[in-house]
Amino acid sequence: MTAPDTSQLLDHLRADLAEVMGDDVLLAVDITPDTRFDDDLALESIEFVALGEILRERYGERVDFPGFIAGMELDEIMSLTVGRLLAYISDRLAESATV
Amino acid sequence: MVDVVARDVRFHVQRISPPEGAPADRPVVVFLHGLILDNLSSFYYTLAGPVAGTGAETIMYDLRGHGRSQRPPAGYTVDDAVDDLAALLTELGVQQPVFLVGNSFGGVVALRFALRHPHDVAGLVVIEAHTVGDGAGDWTEHMSNTLTVTALGLAHDDLADQLSKLGDRKLARAARLAGELLNGTTLIDDVAATPPLHGPELAAIRCPVLAVYGVHSDLAAAGRQLAGLLPDCTLHMIPDQAHTVLREATPLVRTLVLDWLHRHTAAS
Repeated sequence: MTAPDTSQLLDHLRADLAEVMGDDVLLAVDITPDTRFDDDLALESIEFVALGEILRERYGERVDFPGFIAGMELDEIMSLTVGRLLAYISDRLAESATV
Repeated sequence: MVDVVARDVRFHVQRISPPEGAPADRPVVVFLHGLILDNLSSFYYTLAGPVAGTGAETIMYDLRGHGRSQRPPAGYTVDDAVDDLAALLTELGVQQPVFLVGNSFGGVVALRFALRHPHDVAGLVVIEAHTVGDGAGDWTEHMSNTLTVTALGLAHDDLADQLSKLGDRKLARAARLAGELLNGTTLIDDVAATPPLHGPELAAIRCPVLAVYGVHSDLAAAGRQLAGLLPDCTLHMIPDQAHTVLREATPLVRTLVLDWLHRHTAAS
């Protein structure tokens, strides 16, 4: 199976964020890899948990949100960029595609 | 697993499991958060991952009316929260005694659960719990009055709409959630109606307890009384901290909880 490219992953993530936060977020913010979850999107910490659950449903156990945030404190997690999360997803999908 | 229905309420549940290979009879640790603007994320980002990393199964859920759980109009007493927890453990198929980790109101729920279900509890971590000790009634009344004033303000000022217009999504959502909980449910009356746990009740809680309080917290004296009344309690007073120790002193609280759990899960 071919892993989706970054622009496909970004499209998926836009849809997932809209599911968690409501469609308004897509009108309010142009979501790019540089977008920060906290400062730019005003994503709440409980919404980030819900997003992690949706990612697991979409990509399976190989995208492990608790594993991704392990070792980070809350401030660090919330100030992550969209690009950093996409890079993690991309790495995990590429890893499982080559196994 | 995300949504679990118990006592006709839909609860948002999250679990972080230990690495593969953990034994089937591994310890189960359940986390209970505080009131109004708190939710399971307080534990998801602080304690749950590291606790799971030691080989325990972790369960977090949003209390009724909080976070992403359903918000019924009634059922917000501490005993309701105890009944919710018992029903959730049944729905989740948990049959062994569990460790409960409760912050603030969650600590009160943990203590009362241990009192009512002594055989279902292996141990408690109580962080900044109120409604214990001599000053508990005063503190509950003070909190209830503060919440009532807040509720009136939220109802009359339309604060959420104003914040939303200002573009502050997080504050607007917090104000809306607080308004719906305080004005749309029986929470204030229910919490105020719960009597504090007194000495004989606390003396009946035989399981090991770790109590964590901030030195500068309004509840510091309650923490010391709790430690004096519980038969098997280890008390840690965190220097330079007040009520929000979990948020403000996360690494220290994490170390205390992991060390304590390690000692007591090895013993059990």
